[in-house]
Amino acid sequence: MKKNKLLLLSAAISALSTVPAMADDLVIGFATAQTGYLAPYDQPNLAGLQLKIDEINAAGGIAGKFPIKTIIKDTRTDSAQTALVAQELVDEGAQLIITPCDADPSIAAGMITQDAGIPAISFCATTPTLPLAVGDHMFSNYPADNVQATMLANHAIEQGYKTAYILTSPDTAYTLKLPQYFGQVFEAKGGTLLGEGTFTMGQQDFSAEVTKIAAMNPQPDVIMTAAYEPDFPAFIRQLRGAGVTAPIIGADAIDSPTTFSLGELAEGVVFSTAGHATEGSALEAFNAKWQEKTGNAPDTIYIANGYDLGNIIEAAVTAADSVEPAAIRDGIANLENLAGVTGPITFKGTNGMPLRSVALVRVKGGDRELVAQGLPEAADIPAP
Amino acid sequence: MPRIGKQAVKGCLTLALPLIALAIIAEFFMPASYARLTALYLIYVSAVVGMQIYSGNSGIISFGHAGFMALGAYGSALLTIQTSLLSTSLPNLPQWLAAIAGGHSLWIGMLGALAVAGLVAVLFGLPLSRLSGSAASIATLGFLVIVHVTLVASADITRGSQTFFGIPRGVSAFVALPVALIAVALARIYRDTKGGLALRAAREDEIAARASGVNVTRERFIAWVLGGLASGAAGALLAHFLGAFSPKDFYFNLTFLLMSMLILGGMTTVSGAVGGTALIVVMVDLLRGLEGGSEVLGVALPQMFGLTDVGVGIVILIVMYRLRDGLFGLREVDERLFPEAKVTAIGAIEAPSAGKASLEVHGVGRRFAGLVALENVSFTVRPGLVTGLIGPNGAGKSTMINAISGVVPPSSGRVLLNGTDTAKIAPHKVPMRGLGRTFQNIRLFRNLSVLENVTVAADSVAQSGEDSRALAMAALNVVDLQDLAERPANSLPYGAQRRLEIARALALRPSFLLLDEPAAGMNPAETDALIAVLQKIRSDFGIGLLVVEHDLKLIMRLCDHIVVLNKGEMIAEGTPEEIRNNATVIEAYIGKRRAAA
Repeated sequence: MKKNKLLLLSAAISALSTVPAMADDLVIGFATAQTGYLAPYDQPNLAGLQLKIDEINAAGGIAGKFPIKTIIKDTRTDSAQTALVAQELVDEGAQLIITPCDADPSIAAGMITQDAGIPAISFCATTPTLPLAVGDHMFSNYPADNVQATMLANHAIEQGYKTAYILTSPDTAYTLKLPQYFGQVFEAKGGTLLGEGTFTMGQQDFSAEVTKIAAMNPQPDVIMTAAYEPDFPAFIRQLRGAGVTAPIIGADAIDSPTTFSLGELAEGVVFSTAGHATEGSALEAFNAKWQEKTGNAPDTIYIANGYDLGNIIEAAVTAADSVEPAAIRDGIANLENLAGVTGPITFKGTNGMPLRSVALVRVKGGDRELVAQGLPEAADIPAP
Repeated sequence: MPRIGKQAVKGCLTLALPLIALAIIAEFFMPASYARLTALYLIYVSAVVGMQIYSGNSGIISFGHAGFMALGAYGSALLTIQTSLLSTSLPNLPQWLAAIAGGHSLWIGMLGALAVAGLVAVLFGLPLSRLSGSAASIATLGFLVIVHVTLVASADITRGSQTFFGIPRGVSAFVALPVALIAVALARIYRDTKGGLALRAAREDEIAARASGVNVTRERFIAWVLGGLASGAAGALLAHFLGAFSPKDFYFNLTFLLMSMLILGGMTTVSGAVGGTALIVVMVDLLRGLEGGSEVLGVALPQMFGLTDVGVGIVILIVMYRLRDGLFGLREVDERLFPEAKVTAIGAIEAPSAGKASLEVHGVGRRFAGLVALENVSFTVRPGLVTGLIGPNGAGKSTMINAISGVVPPSSGRVLLNGTDTAKIAPHKVPMRGLGRTFQNIRLFRNLSVLENVTVAADSVAQSGEDSRALAMAALNVVDLQDLAERPANSLPYGAQRRLEIARALALRPSFLLLDEPAAGMNPAETDALIAVLQKIRSDFGIGLLVVEHDLKLIMRLCDHIVVLNKGEMIAEGTPEEIRNNATVIEAYIGKRRAAA
């Protein structure tokens, strides 16, 4: 058995960087981005999850008997690298694998973990087709694009908006599909879509689009886009500069400090996010705890989102009463109304994209104001 | 018929054996993660080698090969996607495509990838091949952007920017190996073919290559298509390796990764492509192991994410600083390890038409936007004689040479070379009709060997069945460079470089040789050696020589017949003795007053 010898050898080499796991350890492998454009999303999630893991381990592990051990590897925001890292984590005995905030690398990693029978959860990929592409061992930890879009469209209808204009970018599925889902629901509920403009991500020149919108007669009642930094601030600046006053609806990627620092420009912008810290809510308590631990208030919802991923893992392993990958998968798939800090989380009955409440917030005076929170009717959600 | 030399076979084996060994070790004796890394390495090898075929031989840095990978990926993915997913993930597929899409095996997918990449390579290669240098580089960048935008926009076929998924995975090292081996063999064999050598010559000096009978446009086109096919195949493999991808996976990040691999290893050799890829893959993996925070020899290292990129950047800087041509330099590993046996000269270099050849200049005039460079010049260069073309600066000598060699067609009149009007055929065809030339400023293929320099020209005229390398060696014998045949051309002393240029022109079996200031910058000893060589060429081969020279002593010693130009007009023609005593010539050279005195 030469193979075993070499296996041992290479295990010895990799042992330079890892401490061997005990029988009852839960080994979580992270194939997530430490560098590259996904890092700003993966890192706060990781920080939040790390806090939860520290709490769990301080208490002797999940249910007091399954301590968590982590193996963290950088995917450099590259799909091929993510696939390699996922394979390494499988080889190193991970029983659960966390994948980046994007569908491409999550699918590439998920296909490996699916074959290995190990559950994988994306930090915050929102593409609703993600689990369809991989299989029953793939999950995500964020409200899907079509769910967010439905909430936003419901809000637009409730506001009495009759006409809408959507601005999309074909550069990513998120910037393209989310506004289109919005348009579908908006029209299904009696609204009229006046048009769809497109932009190139990172270009920050919206003059053609803005001129087109400014020339529209009548003006749309509302403009919806999933553009985010650096495109969103550039767009809104140029749009308001051209004298367009129509309200703007955005999506969760603009839930960042930049948006709130835009002052008068962003006033009144409504966007979807994973949760809102109302008084007395779990999220408010979490934010206080985070402030106490780190000295800073959390600047993005992704930190609480990562913490909630810890809650999901804890609940799933507790229910399974095992760290066997298959049992963990079943544990996750059967979670129902788990009380997360961002709101209730349900995987039971879904294909792997969770049913989680979506919060709609409005930018007001440089701060956030809750507009709505909850889950849309399942029948309203457009098919992915 | 491509020339598959022994050296190319040695080269293929030298590069193939380590790859085969690597694949076997990785698949049978290593953990799955190393097997996957090896598979990825072999995929990158195919891609980088595809880039090397074009960039390495033509000298044009390509940004476009990730585009071919994208085309290959989508071409294969469409054929192999699970049929059950077609209706949900690609509902708007055009009917003709829907009829053939889905359910095929990986190898059928590979054929699809090659078809798509090949077709696009041909279409884009036609205009691209006419460009050289940085213009061509920018065009390849345009190609990458066009491919990317087209894939994103063709959402009905490609799912646009959304992830394309549902294609069978299963690219192990053993699946990637044959593709990598074929790509490496293709690149290594191509390098030594007539076309590959011709393109490498054009990389070193495009003008000299055309004057040696190289159809630069055609050779660039062939390399572009071959490279595109190799990279397209690599793209198909990467698609099946990942199982899910979108256009952004085949954009700038991948382009720069491939470029760093190629440039680090050395883009002029296939060994460089294979070795540079290995180095980057190994470096990335080693550094990645360190950055997660680990304990090495009892010392705890902190987490340092980003170390990989920084480390690779530093390695590239160091290598480029120390070795400008990359790790593997300008010669293939096999050329260093198993050098070729010496080539023996055989074959005659006499012009087939010697004796009845003719080069006639009929009333040639040339105007550049009002400036008259030449006006109604007529003379004949006779075979077996040395004709001198002299005149003060600005007399129109260079324009005359360009008109004769077909580079700048005359505005009026014509030049007949063995009955063919040189303005009516492509410049690279003029040498094949019997006119060899040298240049005022030496134009050698500097990084090719002395023998290769001459072989390029011999290739253009060699009949089928003839060994052009032996022919080249015969030409080197004439100028007494046979012992330096393996040296790089740029390492020769000045006089020898001049003689090498003459040998290269001779290998074209010309009936006429056009020598543009052959003695410029030579010392007296070198000049004497040159005169001996030229006299030998005239007497032994019956070639007609047209010598443009400032050195009047040399002209008088060497020439049988002299043509004098001044201010674009021919002012005299005759034997050296007649010219020496011609009042108009003396006046043109030294001024009226002195001449009268």
